Amino acid sequence: MSQLRPGREVMVIGVGLHPFGRFRDKDLASLARDAVVAALKDSGVPWKDIPVAYFGHVYYHGMSVGETALGPLGLTGIPIINVENACCSGSSAFWQAYWGIASGMFDLALAFGAEKVPSGPVTVTAADSPERYIGGDHMMAGYALRARRYMAETGAPPEALAQVAVKARQIAAMNPFAHRKDTYTLEQVLASRLVADPLTLFQCCPTSEGAAAAVLCAKESLGQFGVDAGRAIRVAAATLTSGSYNGKGSDHSAFSPYRTAQAGQQAYEMSGLGPEDVDLVQVHDAATIAEMQHLEALNLVPPGEGWRATLDGRTALGGAIPTNTDGGLLAMGHPFGATGIRMVHETVTQLRGEAGPRQVPGAQVGLAQCSGAGDVTTVQIFTK
Amino acid sequence: MTQPNRNKPQSVDSRRLKLTNDAGTQGVLLGSCCRQCGICVFGSASFCQSCTGGDLATVELSGQGILYSYTIVRVPPAGWPGPVPYILGQVELSEGPHVLAEIVDCPETGLEIGMAVVLALAPVKTEGSEAVKVVYKFRPQLTTAGASKARLEAQRKEKP
Repeated sequence: MSQLRPGREVMVIGVGLHPFGRFRDKDLASLARDAVVAALKDSGVPWKDIPVAYFGHVYYHGMSVGETALGPLGLTGIPIINVENACCSGSSAFWQAYWGIASGMFDLALAFGAEKVPSGPVTVTAADSPERYIGGDHMMAGYALRARRYMAETGAPPEALAQVAVKARQIAAMNPFAHRKDTYTLEQVLASRLVADPLTLFQCCPTSEGAAAAVLCAKESLGQFGVDAGRAIRVAAATLTSGSYNGKGSDHSAFSPYRTAQAGQQAYEMSGLGPEDVDLVQVHDAATIAEMQHLEALNLVPPGEGWRATLDGRTALGGAIPTNTDGGLLAMGHPFGATGIRMVHETVTQLRGEAGPRQVPGAQVGLAQCSGAGDVTTVQIFTK
Repeated sequence: MTQPNRNKPQSVDSRRLKLTNDAGTQGVLLGSCCRQCGICVFGSASFCQSCTGGDLATVELSGQGILYSYTIVRVPPAGWPGPVPYILGQVELSEGPHVLAEIVDCPETGLEIGMAVVLALAPVKTEGSEAVKVVYKFRPQLTTAGASKARLEAQRKEKP
């Protein structure tokens, strides 16, 4: 498979975030630009040196928003590509930036993403779709179907699911960029309003606004651009998959976690690393159930053990496999275009040893996984 | 020459549900089976999702299956025309494919993973017009519903 044969080493040399939350008076392009300026400053590379940019977003804010966001930094004439790939839009932009460099086409690349997600349940299909009448197009109902099945198969109690949300808020209380920083008890999570049982409101990620950006550079070009090699983080793998036949058909809402296994396996092969090497992980915890299922699919906990790992504290900061170390989707919120690059931001910050009170001591290898409608899945592995 | 009746009930998705009478009270779910690899999927298709071959037969599915999972949706998606809450089921058809659809004629307490369900059609009014769409749903197969009800009543009797 060609995507497993990179031509040369790629490093992340700068990351930037716009805080996640609600910013009614700021347009999408402004959110995005703030994250880009932060990432460029972090990298030390000036905008005029960037030869290509990929922008992830989903909702329509007019055409060519990537160009609108970057134009005010100076019209340098570079290719700017707008990327829509559902909840993996940001990580797909990152994937393209990675391969743009690995293939030898560019020495530097910018990946950024932003979103202003409207409030209320998220749907995947267009307004005139038959799904409006069938009732199956409901993101959290899809996760609820998975949750009930998982609980029946593994014996996981409702408290195990709720603990994922409790952990997310505890971590986010230490993260100034998070949408939700207030903490909850297990009882409060379980007693919050039912959205689609067994999932209560606090077990569903908030819809949010925010932006994230990353600057990538060929390892062999670090010197040429005066980059601090000591803070550069290596991209050991970047994979992207879509749905493959699973014997059951593809109903977009009932995402099957096995697709994570596929993208994860490719990433392990590409990096030459295995689950035992991973020190910390970011997974797509759009709902509590998703975190434990993705951890199982990535072989970071044994099959059917995700809920026990959660209750045991194995997934907490200080546990054997610290998971969603910035608060994840459940507390950061989920601006679709930004989320995948937000995970890159967190992983790079951790591997640099710059995560402050959230720091995982001695972290050498980090993995980030994102999944979205269309059964899109991305996995990246980063090493110090 | 007869004029087409604009108010005649229409299938919500003619690739998945074929109506077999004008009143829209009877119909069958459609599937596609690959003549090369034998895989069957829900809905009509031109190409096989598994082997990508183009030699497919449209088949009528039995409309029978088991409840693989379910949830009670209390915050509906935008545009949902039905009552709230509603039960959303993930049904494994006896031919294999999974279908998401509303579960009707079943009390919340009667839901059980693995229970037998069968196709049920229901008319749904479309927004801003008199047109009616016929939507595929599932209801408990009578024998199972009867058994569940009997079990529930037995449980109630045991309590003081």
